[in-house]
Amino acid sequence: MLPDQSVDTPVSLSMAPFAGPWTKWEAAHLLKRTMFGPTNQQILDAVAAGMNATVANVLQIPAIDQPLAFDAAETIVPFGSTWVNAVYPSNAAQAQSVETARQLSLGAWIMKRLNTEPLSIAEKLCFFWVNHFGVTAIQDSRGTYNYHMLLRQHALGNFKQMIKDVTIDPAMLLFLNGATNTLYSPNENYARELLELFTIGKGPQIGPGDYSHYTEEDVAAGAKILTGYIVEGLRSATLTSPQSTFFPILHDTTTKQLSYHFGNATVANNGALEYSDYIDIIFQQDQVATHICTKLYRYFVNYDLTADVEANVIPIMVQTMISNNYEILPVLDELFKSEHFYDISLKGAVIRNPLEAIFGAFNPAESVPNYDLTTNSNLYLLIYGFAQGQGLDYATPPSVAGWTAYYLAPNFTKLWLSSSYIKNRFDFATLVTIFTGIPSGGNNFKVNALTLVDGLSIPSDAPTVIDDLCDVYCPKPISAAQKLVLKNILTNGLPDFEWTIQYNDYIANPGNTTFSDPVRLRIELVINRIFKMPEFHTI
Amino acid sequence: MKRRSFVKNVSLASAAAPFVLKDINFQPIAKKLFNYSKMAEGRVLVIIRLNGGNDGLNTVIPVDQYANLVVQRSNIVIPETSILPITAEVGFHPVMTGMRNMFNDGKLSIIQNVGYPEQNRSHFRSMDIWTSGSMDISETRGWLGRDFDNHYPNYPNDYPNATYPDPFAISMGFEVSATCQGLMGNFSHAITDPFASFNLANGNAVNDGTYFGSHMEYIQTLIDQTNQYGDQINAAANAGNTLSTLYDDNNPIAVQLRYVAQMISGGLQSKVYILNINGFDTHDAQVLMTDPTLGTHADLLKTLSDAVEAFQDDLNLLGLEQKVAGMTFSEFGRQIASNASYGTDHGDAAPMFLFGACINSGIIGPNPTVTDQLVNQAGNEMMIDFRDVYASILKDWFQVDPVEIQPLFEHTISYVDVLGACNVGLDEEQKDESNLLVYPNPARSSATLKLDCKDEWVKAEICDLQGRSVGVVCDRQLTPGTHSIPMDISHLSQGHYVIKVYKYSGIASIKFQKLK
Repeated sequence: MLPDQSVDTPVSLSMAPFAGPWTKWEAAHLLKRTMFGPTNQQILDAVAAGMNATVANVLQIPAIDQPLAFDAAETIVPFGSTWVNAVYPSNAAQAQSVETARQLSLGAWIMKRLNTEPLSIAEKLCFFWVNHFGVTAIQDSRGTYNYHMLLRQHALGNFKQMIKDVTIDPAMLLFLNGATNTLYSPNENYARELLELFTIGKGPQIGPGDYSHYTEEDVAAGAKILTGYIVEGLRSATLTSPQSTFFPILHDTTTKQLSYHFGNATVANNGALEYSDYIDIIFQQDQVATHICTKLYRYFVNYDLTADVEANVIPIMVQTMISNNYEILPVLDELFKSEHFYDISLKGAVIRNPLEAIFGAFNPAESVPNYDLTTNSNLYLLIYGFAQGQGLDYATPPSVAGWTAYYLAPNFTKLWLSSSYIKNRFDFATLVTIFTGIPSGGNNFKVNALTLVDGLSIPSDAPTVIDDLCDVYCPKPISAAQKLVLKNILTNGLPDFEWTIQYNDYIANPGNTTFSDPVRLRIELVINRIFKMPEFHTI
Repeated sequence: MKRRSFVKNVSLASAAAPFVLKDINFQPIAKKLFNYSKMAEGRVLVIIRLNGGNDGLNTVIPVDQYANLVVQRSNIVIPETSILPITAEVGFHPVMTGMRNMFNDGKLSIIQNVGYPEQNRSHFRSMDIWTSGSMDISETRGWLGRDFDNHYPNYPNDYPNATYPDPFAISMGFEVSATCQGLMGNFSHAITDPFASFNLANGNAVNDGTYFGSHMEYIQTLIDQTNQYGDQINAAANAGNTLSTLYDDNNPIAVQLRYVAQMISGGLQSKVYILNINGFDTHDAQVLMTDPTLGTHADLLKTLSDAVEAFQDDLNLLGLEQKVAGMTFSEFGRQIASNASYGTDHGDAAPMFLFGACINSGIIGPNPTVTDQLVNQAGNEMMIDFRDVYASILKDWFQVDPVEIQPLFEHTISYVDVLGACNVGLDEEQKDESNLLVYPNPARSSATLKLDCKDEWVKAEICDLQGRSVGVVCDRQLTPGTHSIPMDISHLSQGHYVIKVYKYSGIASIKFQKLK
């Protein structure tokens, strides 16, 4: 691949603990890779806390609120309550209408999670798993919600257990036709992706139907092993969630033969738990750890898997994963404390996905809508739509393999930017800075320029404002010439002290828009420019 | 000028994007820049990707084996009486009236059983194979991108420029097409609406030699190209026209093809347009339980068929039929037997469609074989290698020198006559040695075939659109020079035919139309 030949590749391939200076750049690098948009204060706090404490903080999954009903079409639960365990109306048309309301609630809930993330890897990691499994929202939002919560529950937990639970989760059973995979007509869809994408991964085709790590026979055997599960309770008027149920009569009870890739193992009939036996066999192959560690590396560190990285970094991650019986946390803990992770050549090696660009703009300014539930929800749905227009529909990955930016060589995350997408990104940047903002319920939601500037280290000092904004929004220091351009936007070409006077007047006159508006406008102009700089679009 | 909505809730799938690195030690592959021949100048190829793996057996239906189709796929098979008759052996899905009309007009051809050896049933790997035109796992370029690289080395550095102001290819949607991935950049330019204006702020980021630096250069170049190509595309779209009334505004592919017609008629010099239809991965509910002629697959085929018919109608009205040809492809066909979910699982070979006035019309290759034996996981056997189709399109349509084509592909190419019908007698430089001419054309009871040859054996036969010989015009040793050979065509029924001329020096063909 080209970057190998022409790009400075990492100097350090060491997975030993990073012992270099822990400055704002290292702290920012960790937080930007593990969050959608850390604030300046979060970065400063991380510097003060040190690497180990920060990584420990990052590697926690906090509890979150449930999605709330806000749309008038929700007729089962009251406005402002959650519907995740509520039934549906028995009338099909009414159930459809309620489902639409719940999908809207769910979409708003997802965006709110990203917008209000605390210092934690949770949202970034949940999105990793959403991408990994590629499941599309099902027609019962309770099931979609449960599926997303299942991913969250296991996000830092045990990978093997996650695969087992996802295998028989109703959303997955519906998505890859496990729910119609029966003794009488095996459906290979899930059995294929379980091997090809979710666990052991597909290698080069080395013979007819032989993909290095498994064969077509394994796909066929897997389909039989997984027979018998169906989904009940979809949009039920009595059941409070869709459920997976095993029907022995639909299960293929023959003994299934696996290929030489699995030591010619056989899987005897074990009814409802046979899938678990099969997954145990798959996980005996260390290739499973190699597959998932490689994917974690590409997502959190660098899509370009150099030969050096494959030889030196991945094996350490794999070893850690195997020795911890497929626990995910120790692998990430080691990675985020490694010398390799903080190598200078890796800063800016990832192009932001649309949500990283959107919340990478809002979150550092602590821009969280605090209107009423309906206005907030509609606003989040508009943001959801903007992300769609830039190529990322969170609840609907484009395929079971997830987004192309995470697997399609040679371009990977460059695929987030095409002429169509970049126009939508730039239009969005204009909208939320120097234009009206996103309208919802009579309000206009923008990046909160005043909160942003107030949170910087010395907001009254023009050069410091520009430095801090670049720390927050760019992965590396930018040139003095670029900083000067930005500072001239901030000061409108006047001497720096004019900004100081302007800012101090605003502080001295709280609530007076005569003084705050000019400050807001100057900051908006600066960040409008930053959001259109190539630097901003990388992390 | 039209306004575009600020947000588009469309997500058109996959591909690769430009990739830029300056100062890379790039060796031009071709010693001399090959010039596309005059005849190929201005020619356009429209590619429609059927994403997910189209079920060929419910698209181009082998009606001669209908009883076995019932055995294999009783829950999804199209009722025999609903199938659109095409030939004695082949029928179309009932929604494909548009493509049926085109076939009857000689503007649609079918290449049967296209695939590659040892089918890989992964969507992702198989799509990589189809877009790269290579089975080599390390090949990251697209089949068109490799050819573009030969002609325009160093792209995207210094493109667009005065000689090449327009994008080489247009990908309709948000993402560029992997078929056009070159060594350093992707030759396709993604647009959703040619009337949208682009005026993006440019930055002045610096390439510091790291991954970050390569991204800076990539984004800078993207912004520059977006602005410059955007102006060209706007100008073409505004200057262009569209005349067909057959386009359905609710058909997203029809809307995109109308944009394509506007850009072509407005003079945009892009050589390739790529469109995409998602949803062909019909593991379940491919057909409605209650009516196998309806459902997901029917909707998809109708979208395709209606859109292509409208587009061809437009090209005809715009006088552009001689300049535009199209093809469809999908990563694989589906298994012969259906599953219990009223769907089909990943299979092997499948038919491709070519369309346009310049195609070698008819059906190339026999029907797939459908037996009465249910064989687990069986798909249709590959008979024509998709790389041969690609190579033939490059040769027939873009008039790329075969000397240049062979190195683009890893296997030894066997050319298929696919897109040569407009090539003969149009271009002085590239004049076919046979110099074929049929006159009058259209003809009623008799006509004359004029051809040039050396001192050689010449066989000329008339074939119908299914490629079956319906009469021999000449089959003997001829003297060098020009010959005018009378043809009795009174026995032929009304319609389009192709005369194929086989000589020691090669095969040539020409189309003619028989009137009542």
